[in-house]
Amino acid sequence: MVEVSTPVKWLLRVLAIGYVFLLVAWPVSTIVREAFADGLGTFVEIFSDEQAVNALTLTVQVAVQAVLINLVFGVGISLLLVRYEFPGKRVLSALVDLPMAVSPVVVGLSLLLVYNGRDGWFGEHLEKWGVQIIFSGTGMIMATCFVALPLVIREVVPVLTEIGDDQEQAARSLGANARQTFLRITLPSIKWAVVYGVVLSLARSLGEFGAVKIVSGNVANQTQTATLLVEKQYQSFDQAGAYAVSFILAFVSVLCIVVVSILRPKEHSK
Amino acid sequence: MATATLDATARPTPPPRRRAGARSTLTAGSSLGLGIAVTWFSLLVLIPLTAIVATSAGRGWSGYIVTITNPQTMAAIQLTVGQSLLVTGINIVMGTLIAWVLVRDRFWGKSVLDVIIDIPFALPTIVAGLVLLGLYGNGSPIGLDWAYTERAVMLALAFVTLPFIVRTVQPVLEELDHDVEEAAASLGAKRLTIFRRIILPSLAPAIAAGAALSFARAIAEYGSLVLLSGNKPFTTEVVSVRVLSFIENGSTESAAAVASLMLAVALFVIVVLDVVQRRVSRRG
Amino acid sequence: MSIEVTNVTKKYGDFYALDDVSVSLPTGQLTALLGPSGGGKSTLLRIIAGLDTADSGTVAIEGTNATRLPPQKRNVGFVFQHYAVFKHMTVAKNVAFGLEIRKTPKAEVKRRVGELLELVHLSQFADRLPSQLSGGQRQRMALARALAVEPTVLLLDEPFGALDAKVRKELRDWLRRLHDEVHVTTVFVTHDQEEAMEVADEIVVINHGRVEQVGSPDQLYDEPASDFVMGFLGEVTRLGPVRLRPHDVEVATSPGRAGAIPGTVTRLLRVGFEVRLQVQLGDEFGTGAEPVSVVLSRSHARSLDLELGSKVWLTAAVGAVTVPAMIAV
Repeated sequence: MVEVSTPVKWLLRVLAIGYVFLLVAWPVSTIVREAFADGLGTFVEIFSDEQAVNALTLTVQVAVQAVLINLVFGVGISLLLVRYEFPGKRVLSALVDLPMAVSPVVVGLSLLLVYNGRDGWFGEHLEKWGVQIIFSGTGMIMATCFVALPLVIREVVPVLTEIGDDQEQAARSLGANARQTFLRITLPSIKWAVVYGVVLSLARSLGEFGAVKIVSGNVANQTQTATLLVEKQYQSFDQAGAYAVSFILAFVSVLCIVVVSILRPKEHSK
Repeated sequence: MATATLDATARPTPPPRRRAGARSTLTAGSSLGLGIAVTWFSLLVLIPLTAIVATSAGRGWSGYIVTITNPQTMAAIQLTVGQSLLVTGINIVMGTLIAWVLVRDRFWGKSVLDVIIDIPFALPTIVAGLVLLGLYGNGSPIGLDWAYTERAVMLALAFVTLPFIVRTVQPVLEELDHDVEEAAASLGAKRLTIFRRIILPSLAPAIAAGAALSFARAIAEYGSLVLLSGNKPFTTEVVSVRVLSFIENGSTESAAAVASLMLAVALFVIVVLDVVQRRVSRRG
Repeated sequence: MSIEVTNVTKKYGDFYALDDVSVSLPTGQLTALLGPSGGGKSTLLRIIAGLDTADSGTVAIEGTNATRLPPQKRNVGFVFQHYAVFKHMTVAKNVAFGLEIRKTPKAEVKRRVGELLELVHLSQFADRLPSQLSGGQRQRMALARALAVEPTVLLLDEPFGALDAKVRKELRDWLRRLHDEVHVTTVFVTHDQEEAMEVADEIVVINHGRVEQVGSPDQLYDEPASDFVMGFLGEVTRLGPVRLRPHDVEVATSPGRAGAIPGTVTRLLRVGFEVRLQVQLGDEFGTGAEPVSVVLSRSHARSLDLELGSKVWLTAAVGAVTVPAMIAV
């Protein structure tokens, strides 16, 4: 490896740390100061405020369901994309990345156009059968699924590709059927990738804002998630409340990436 | 965290032994699985996105043009594209630099820096806006009150797009063959020449992919701007905010028209990614 | 016959991996599928195992038509070039896998695994993970794993290809001895003719998706059916109108024998116990023609007093295997 000279090394180091510090570390740390400005007082208030508790509960419910759906879908589609050949595979493989690049606002609008009960493509009929998607939990789960869709796939596909299908073929030749091969060989090999995918999806799902804002209707105590509550609190000059809820969300999301970064090196040493 | 990672080798390319082309190797069980997966994917993603294109065409070509060329919409598009390009430019320089420092430098606290890079990815966007307000808003401890200005838009976009280039370049830089650099050095190349002629060309596809993702994300951003930019028409209103105000006013056709432009950018970026990934994996 | 392959064809796009291949492999024998890389031998093995499917043709294993059977129903043992160990399981668990799938009682599994690890000399590594084993040990484990299910046939795909030369040689001898003990019908793929000659009872030479010749190692060496087989099984040189092995060229320092072709020694190389010569023939055989390669023992070379520039007369040895040389060599 070609070494850079010491002054250049220091310059690069200072630039990198300085940029990340000013853009991320310092701003994020202000939230701790703001949230604990009154000690634990604000948190006591938050957890006794019915609206906040409902918003946090709803957020967890929506996120957990969306993550479970994306887990099953993500692992399944990863297996199909890596282990099988079929016409249209390349297109499908590119399209599953699409949600990464689509604006949450566009996601919300697109679901609204198809599933709203008034004039949506499917929504109108679904409404007649008594199924409401927009302005209900179902729509919020779908919006969350949409935005977090590629996360599991992007973790699992590289690992599946890397481990190859040798072990699976060996299992088949030893008499294991498809289900046994998946449960005993494939799943243990992709276990960590699945865990990362799930943790990251969870972080993304808990924090979803734009798409959920559009499809939920944002009704307090019913379809108002934690992120929507933060916006409302801030706009109604309840800064302390906004910072307290934000702190809870930020804490969980930072916890998620710390968990992933601690788990990850384990895999290398194995 | 490799969520935003473009892993050159990570795409599902068919194993070389089976040059099966478009032939299917699906079994009965996997066909059923594919059927269910594609149905769900269509209901969730493809049909809704198609609905945007269909709805935007609802008022015909001239209606579409009128919506897009409305001065307030044009201002939003100009602002969004301008700031997104600016931020992508910053990311190309800073992202590559940070990736370099993370891979080639060693210092106390480097692993912390590595984790912090991922925070913008995991942090809820509304919270991101709020924390940036804390440092760069009214009452800023460093005296930079950028709230409700163009600077605020840039700041928010720079925050949410930070991980993309870092995380696409980092793995490529790690895999880079040191022998090649040493060979170049032994042939008399200076450090800067080695970087420009040897390292940079190998990083270029990763930088391109990261830049594409970062541009797409910047164009798409909504949550972090809501509190920070003030959404003032003609000054700080970005495209996504414009779409949302169309939705709130009930003019879904206008919303769909603007959204279709954003969708086109997203599709373009996905195609770029696909091409870059294939080129990189072919180079092997 | 243990394995009957009939009229099997396999295409990848326009490329014929196997072109109407029929071959019978006898029960209890150790057969080598020998040929250059990309010749189709691995494809044939994988089709026998059910890991690939033939476009047309049939495969029968011990009289049962297995053409449409999935791999898990064929009762074959397969050993992969890169071992395909189950990385997350211990050595014992790897070997036990097939038995557990077959719902064999625990005590029985334990006993069988013990026996097999004994057989492959890995007993002391039972509780290790495969990552803690060397390449040769991993391959022995993979072999034990394949044998655990008491397969009708044992298939090995370039089993020693990823190992270094010394370990390769050891494992090769060991496989031969193992086969003499276990007597399971065994087919292995190799591109190394020495490996095939040393280990196999019978060799099937495959090239360009076709069977070139089937026979014992001696038959193949002594009566090659084609130029290709002759060339693949050992070094070949051209002497006038025929092609033959370099050690079958007789060297004389005087034009005594009838039909002897004169030439000049242009290179002389001693490698261990043998001496290799290159002899440039006279102009009447075409200037710029390939020089003839000759191998002789060191003592023989010394007795002829050969050195660079020596004038020599070459003939084919009596009883040498020769094939007519093609016009353009």
